[in-house]
Amino acid sequence: MLRLFRYRISWSQLAWFGHRLSGIGVLVYLFMHIVENATLAFGPGVYDTTQTFFRNLPVRLGEIVLMAALVYHSLNGLRVIAMDFWPATTRWYRPVTYAVIIGTIVAMIPLGLIMITPYAPWNGR
Amino acid sequence: MAIGRTIWPVQGDPLRRNPSRAARPRPAEPGFERWMWYFTRISGLLLVILAMGHMLIMHVLVQLTGQEISFAFVTSRWGTPFWRIYDLLLLVLALLHGVNGARIIISDYIERGGLRSLLIGILLVITFVWLLLGIFVIITFNPVGAPAIGPFS
Repeated sequence: MLRLFRYRISWSQLAWFGHRLSGIGVLVYLFMHIVENATLAFGPGVYDTTQTFFRNLPVRLGEIVLMAALVYHSLNGLRVIAMDFWPATTRWYRPVTYAVIIGTIVAMIPLGLIMITPYAPWNGR
Repeated sequence: MAIGRTIWPVQGDPLRRNPSRAARPRPAEPGFERWMWYFTRISGLLLVILAMGHMLIMHVLVQLTGQEISFAFVTSRWGTPFWRIYDLLLLVLALLHGVNGARIIISDYIERGGLRSLLIGILLVITFVWLLLGIFVIITFNPVGAPAIGPFS
């Protein structure tokens, strides 16, 4: 249990809420991604110019958040599928939920470092 | 604060309990809602591979190999049917999976029938338009025939 805004929230409630939040976030991105990709229909000039709008730090940070949301949603989703079809696995509900959260953080360390590289101090900026 | 609902443990059919504490247990009666329950899980399994693969190629591998996403990059990728079918499958599955999730979230938080139907109706209309747009872009992409229009051409 952890205390948040004077409420006592269990990690399992937070895991559930995180699944919804990451899902909505990825869906909103998908809608924008479809619009952005539609510029392909206007030829290389329009598409390549549009792409230059996305080559900056704020967009890259957003992409890292998107990656984290997708990694978390994937790992937690696999846990949901396993426990829905093999209810016996709920015996390990708590350790698996912690593993999903820790797994997301661990996976995001190399992924985040690779993705931030062009804007990082160690890249000569 | 009760985020989520206390629906576990429930006696009876093990699948109707909600041991995974997902959004909902498997709907009791066969029909649309049960189909969508299965669709979400099966498409989710495929999307772990499709979406993670897509992200790893476009955001990690492209970075590691020092490439940039440009019209030429898309041309070389979509020159092979494999990646077009891959992206088409990813688009359709991700959009339907995500919109069904959004529909369930709307149903959970909006109690009033009229407002709920209105919001879900708007969601479905937008989804239909965006789905057609996405499919259109992938299928009709043709680097040779692309029109030279617009201010940047």
